[in-house]
Amino acid sequence: MTLTLPSAREEAWRWTDLSGLPAIVAAVPDAGRDALALAAMPAAIASERTDTRLLFVDGVLHSSSTPGRVRLSAVDARTDHALGRHATADGWTLDLAPGQIANVEVVHVATGAASHVPAHVILAPDAVASVTETFVGDGWTNRFFRAELGKGARLMRAVRLLHASGFQSLRDEALLGEGASLVATVLGAGEGSSRVDALVTIAGEQAFAEYGGAMLARGEQRHEAAAVVRHAAPHGQSHQSWRAVADDRAVASLAARVEVARHAQKTDGIQSLKGLLLKRTATVNIKPELEIFADDVKCAHGATVGELDRQSLFYLASRGVDPARARAILTRAFVADALDRIGEEAVRDAFVADADRWLDA
Amino acid sequence: MLEINNLHAEVDGKPILNGLSLSVNAGEVHAIMGPNGAGKSTLAYVLGGRPGYDVTGGSVTLDGADLLEMEPHERAAAGLFLGFQYPVEIPGVSNVQFLREAANAQRAARGEPALSGADFLRLAKAQAEGLSMSMDMMKRPVNVGFSGGEKKRAEMVQMGILDPKLAILDETDSGLDIDALRIVGDGIERIMRKPDRAVILITHYQRLLDHVRPDQVHILSAGRIVRSGGPELAHALEREGYAALGLEDARS
Ligand SMILES: Nc1ncnc2c1ncn2[C@@H]1O[C@H](COP(=O)(O)OP(=O)(O)OP(=O)(O)O)[C@@H](O)[C@H]1O
Ligand SMILES: [Mg+2]
Repeated sequence: MTLTLPSAREEAWRWTDLSGLPAIVAAVPDAGRDALALAAMPAAIASERTDTRLLFVDGVLHSSSTPGRVRLSAVDARTDHALGRHATADGWTLDLAPGQIANVEVVHVATGAASHVPAHVILAPDAVASVTETFVGDGWTNRFFRAELGKGARLMRAVRLLHASGFQSLRDEALLGEGASLVATVLGAGEGSSRVDALVTIAGEQAFAEYGGAMLARGEQRHEAAAVVRHAAPHGQSHQSWRAVADDRAVASLAARVEVARHAQKTDGIQSLKGLLLKRTATVNIKPELEIFADDVKCAHGATVGELDRQSLFYLASRGVDPARARAILTRAFVADALDRIGEEAVRDAFVADADRWLDA
Repeated sequence: MLEINNLHAEVDGKPILNGLSLSVNAGEVHAIMGPNGAGKSTLAYVLGGRPGYDVTGGSVTLDGADLLEMEPHERAAAGLFLGFQYPVEIPGVSNVQFLREAANAQRAARGEPALSGADFLRLAKAQAEGLSMSMDMMKRPVNVGFSGGEKKRAEMVQMGILDPKLAILDETDSGLDIDALRIVGDGIERIMRKPDRAVILITHYQRLLDHVRPDQVHILSAGRIVRSGGPELAHALEREGYAALGLEDARS
């Protein structure tokens, strides 16, 4: 398969390094992948509430899955997104009737090759779904996720990027109907690089979207999150809260945009983008954007990049905490509020534990 | 317990301590007074090992060990506690988490087993009660949103939990109302008035010394101890001011 990839000369891709992808595309999946798949199972959170468990190994559904309410076949959703559009293989669809509830957990294992899987979540009015996804392994895992939320529907989405090497790309698109609510949290705490692209459209009145997360980068890693919330209906609320941490020579980038259409009056859009540099050789890029065409809106944005507070470090040291631990404690506090929004305790605890593991390593 | 001998230190290349000597024995409480800018906080920070405070001469030992050779966290594990004139706010880290980390880090450094969560909470509760702080406050982020007086009381709770050998308390009485002053004074007496403990109280006013009676009072001016005496020295200072003692030049 030959793929056309975006070039770093394009503005939207200048912080992302895709140069390693052609080699991964040419690679052959590891023959021992079943063993690997089972080894990866502890990566699952396995909350008691989960009724649907999917394990994809190099993009292929593993027999240990319990598909529950999910349908596995070609997916009826397309995107123009430069990477997401390659996810045309069979994927999974969750289609909930009014008032139905589903708790889905998906684990994606990659064994060194490339895989492209689409997903489609359709929530009828007042349906409620929780979708937790975990990515582990090596290679290039490319995913396209599209959600359509009917009136009053709710989607909780939590994504952990924990891959050991390679590249992870995720294209999220969500369309929110009247009074619908989306709370999405992404944690980048692996050793590979990543690119998360999101487009959330507030299409119905009084919809609510929270989209954000924490991207932790060290070594030569590059993480980038580029999220757009488009308010196309009045009385919508959105909150984008991202934290980026960069150590060594890593690059962590956040680009977040709020768009408010002319008729989307009374929109309340909040953006909070914060970067933390653990070493001077690391880079954090932050790009907040507001594009407002309505006149009666409340939009606030804050964007900062800084280092750990020296006074706090000395305060911790003066109480006996060694420098490495003090840095970990303060870094954890920096990312904490990005993960606090995860509603389900088992999921939140797992994400916090992953962040801690990254910080303590 | 603490031996400071001819200590010289500078901040940003500016000499602040100019040959300071002080000897504190176990079981003693010493008060250090002195005009604004004399170098009192600088002395506390130098003893705590704050980055940017460079020792250019002299020596400091704590129970015979070279304090200046140690990293700040090692000084804490060796039994030093610094009460800050301006306690630091740490958003996102609760007092309970902060103190459990600190207590167990010190225990680990001394080769002692870690406190369990339950044991730690018992200790924290007892110490908080001793300073009239609620556990609700202890669960809030370190010093964030605390009033000036609450911050000082929180520092005394920290001291109670960490149980140091030597405490250097920098203006712990500033910002305290009458009742809080008594609570903090009683707390210092309860935690530190022991034969194997010692305290250095940095203060501007006699009123804390009414609660915690010092064995010795020193006046620090222009980076050195210029006069030492008993509790009556603090009274004289309160009555007459620094000028009457011939110390007005300290403000140059
Ligand atoms: N970073 C710095 N650069 C230059 N001078 C400094 C710096 N930090 C402190 N100083 C100076 O050192 C001197 C001693 O300051 P210090 O805070 O130790 O005084 P203090 O005795 O505690 O005063 P106060 O009673 O007001 O608390 C002051 O003149 C102060 O301006
Ligand atoms: Mg001072």
